[in-house]
Amino acid sequence: MSDKVGSDKAGRVKAGRTKNRLGAAALFAVVGGMVGLSFASVPLYRAFCQATGYGGTPRTENVVAPTAVADRRVIVQFDANVNPDLPWRFKPAQRQVDIRLGEETLIHYTAVNLSDRPLTGTATFNIAPDAAAQYFSKIQCFCFTEQTLAPRQEVSMPVLFYVDPAIADDVDARDITKITLSYTFYRTDGDDKNSAKSAGVAARNARGGNG
Amino acid sequence: MAYATTAGHGEHDEHHPTGWRRWIYSTNHKDIGTMYIILSLVAALIGGVMSWMIRLELAEPGIQFFDNTQFYNVLVTAHGFLMVFFVVMPAMIGGFGNWFVPLMIGAPDMAFPRMNNISFWLTAAGLTLLVSSAFVGEGPGTGWTVYPPLSSIAYHPGAAVDFGILALHLAGAGSILGAINLIVTIFNMRAPGMTFHRMPLFVWAIMVTAFLLLLALPVLAGALTMLLTDRNFGTSFYVVAGGGDPLLWQHLFWFFGHPEVYIIILPAFGIISQIISTFSKKPVFGYLGMAYAMCAIGFVGFIVWAHHMYTSGIGTNARAYFTVATMIIAVPTGIKIFSWLATMWGGSIELKAPMLFALGFLWLFVIGGVTGVVLANASIDFVMHDTYYVVAHFHYVMAIAAIFAMFGAYYYWIGKMSGRQYSERLAQIQFWVFFIGVNVLFFPQHFLGLNGMPRRIPDYPDAFAGWNMVSSVGAAITMAGTLMFYYIIWHTFRYGKVAEANPWGEGATTLEWTVPSPAPFHTHEELPVIGASDHGHGPVHGGLKPAE
Repeated sequence: MSDKVGSDKAGRVKAGRTKNRLGAAALFAVVGGMVGLSFASVPLYRAFCQATGYGGTPRTENVVAPTAVADRRVIVQFDANVNPDLPWRFKPAQRQVDIRLGEETLIHYTAVNLSDRPLTGTATFNIAPDAAAQYFSKIQCFCFTEQTLAPRQEVSMPVLFYVDPAIADDVDARDITKITLSYTFYRTDGDDKNSAKSAGVAARNARGGNG
Repeated sequence: MAYATTAGHGEHDEHHPTGWRRWIYSTNHKDIGTMYIILSLVAALIGGVMSWMIRLELAEPGIQFFDNTQFYNVLVTAHGFLMVFFVVMPAMIGGFGNWFVPLMIGAPDMAFPRMNNISFWLTAAGLTLLVSSAFVGEGPGTGWTVYPPLSSIAYHPGAAVDFGILALHLAGAGSILGAINLIVTIFNMRAPGMTFHRMPLFVWAIMVTAFLLLLALPVLAGALTMLLTDRNFGTSFYVVAGGGDPLLWQHLFWFFGHPEVYIIILPAFGIISQIISTFSKKPVFGYLGMAYAMCAIGFVGFIVWAHHMYTSGIGTNARAYFTVATMIIAVPTGIKIFSWLATMWGGSIELKAPMLFALGFLWLFVIGGVTGVVLANASIDFVMHDTYYVVAHFHYVMAIAAIFAMFGAYYYWIGKMSGRQYSERLAQIQFWVFFIGVNVLFFPQHFLGLNGMPRRIPDYPDAFAGWNMVSSVGAAITMAGTLMFYYIIWHTFRYGKVAEANPWGEGATTLEWTVPSPAPFHTHEELPVIGASDHGHGPVHGGLKPAE
């Protein structure tokens, strides 16, 4: 091959360049694909959590009424939190309920707007322990819908749920006797989705641009 | 397989720019490699000074120097970023990779010389942005992991974190381009007869590293972009109030972050293989096993990321899986350790400075590897997480081990790069000072961590005072060893003896030793031909010559 090096150098160089460029193009495509995957992981992760209850995600999509009621009982406790930027009082009407598996249960949270102007909030929710989440089926709830409260208005927020009797057959979850449903309300006023962020932007502006 | 295709070089043999144009516009793999090494030496000094400031503060309990504790956080953050992105990666991949991959595979230059130039200058721009971020507002005090919500606009309202994000974007883009360049070079530009299974292990290491860069860095870029838009444009990727999840950042960051530690240590594996083989005057034991062990480490590196997140609330089953998968890494790394030992076994060992650093590497890497197996256990990690035990572990296994490989590589190749040989006596003294320094510095941190001293805190209870003082004394010794290295660089260029083409004798069988020292501006313009017996990694022989 070394004899040929001098003779057809130009052609060889050209062929080599084409090959190099093809290689580089393929590798750039890999890079683009990985960037795409990192963004695609957002909806994928969400779908994964909803399908498996991973990370304490209760079932809220396509939930049907319970088919059977078992004799085993479970205690469901209710927890409520409010982000300090939202001047609401938010708490469950009952600390806990003692129910049978598969029993359709209606409970209430109450929220009061303590301020003198209308405020809008959204609640995130979670189940603890994680392993129970996929058996916690919410038929009706205020899951992640915006709630607007007039000044001093008090509302009752119902949650209709049941605990799937299949939990008794899951080796990882069958020992669970207490399940906690937790809500946290955040402020979602105006076009600023996140009050913590707007507070941060305000702080930055107050300090003259760069903190 | 082999094409001597280098735009701008193959055709213009006389082309040899001088002055500032030679460097700023450089398309020469050796000059760009040199610039990467210089960049790394500068960044190492900045990052080193930061770590000595940290150890100065931690020498005694109480707050000595950092009344502004955010500044301490900034130092910890910047030290991590600098050492990972602007010291180890530029030196190993951009520096020695650029210099010696083309030389070792018999290529005249990299496949894309101009892209090589932009890779370097993107990295340099990233370094500038990162250093300036420390002077913007309160600085980025997030740690190198940049976890939201700490890194969100609510807790870091200044622009410093945005500076840091853009610095990593630039350095990441530079590294991705460099990785593409290296892969195409290794795939398309090997000399006739240089098959994959005859490539020196350093080339194998750089190739696997380049693939890891290609797959891991875009994920970091995506995660950083989401953080940037969360901070500035009102998106909610990581904001719970908007339906996001901070855990998403941890998953994305560590999907990049874990391969990143292999990106740092794999080139070191390659360097150590070359050095141990050369100074034992034997071919590497189990060449194919060594090469494919690196591939296995690279692959497994992508499926163990959540062992950094045991305490973040991942499920029991996930913890069980990640514990097992993490322990599996010990198998290919064990293959490497035992193959290095077997290479030395029965060899005619010469304890020159590069070999001392290679042995030092083995010592550090094995200690760090053993503590890594401890930390791999999810249940033990619940106790150790975020303590100084982790700090000691990763400095041993990855940080200091990589630095030892870099020192070894410098002494091994400086004659080839500069044409002047280092002073053996000074280098051996530097080895012992540095080796004692880092062990006194980091070994006591195991004890501190086991007793519960947390990371990233400038103060601690009096009970931890003793070992912290020992550790800080170790830092002072390490500092002496580091500064001595810079002195040796100066000494080499000022007083160094003229280096022969092959200063190491029969043990050095790879192609870079067939060209004169210093390596001419253009090398391998006539492609060398590698025969079946001429394994670049292979047995001692006299048959490796450039083709006529």
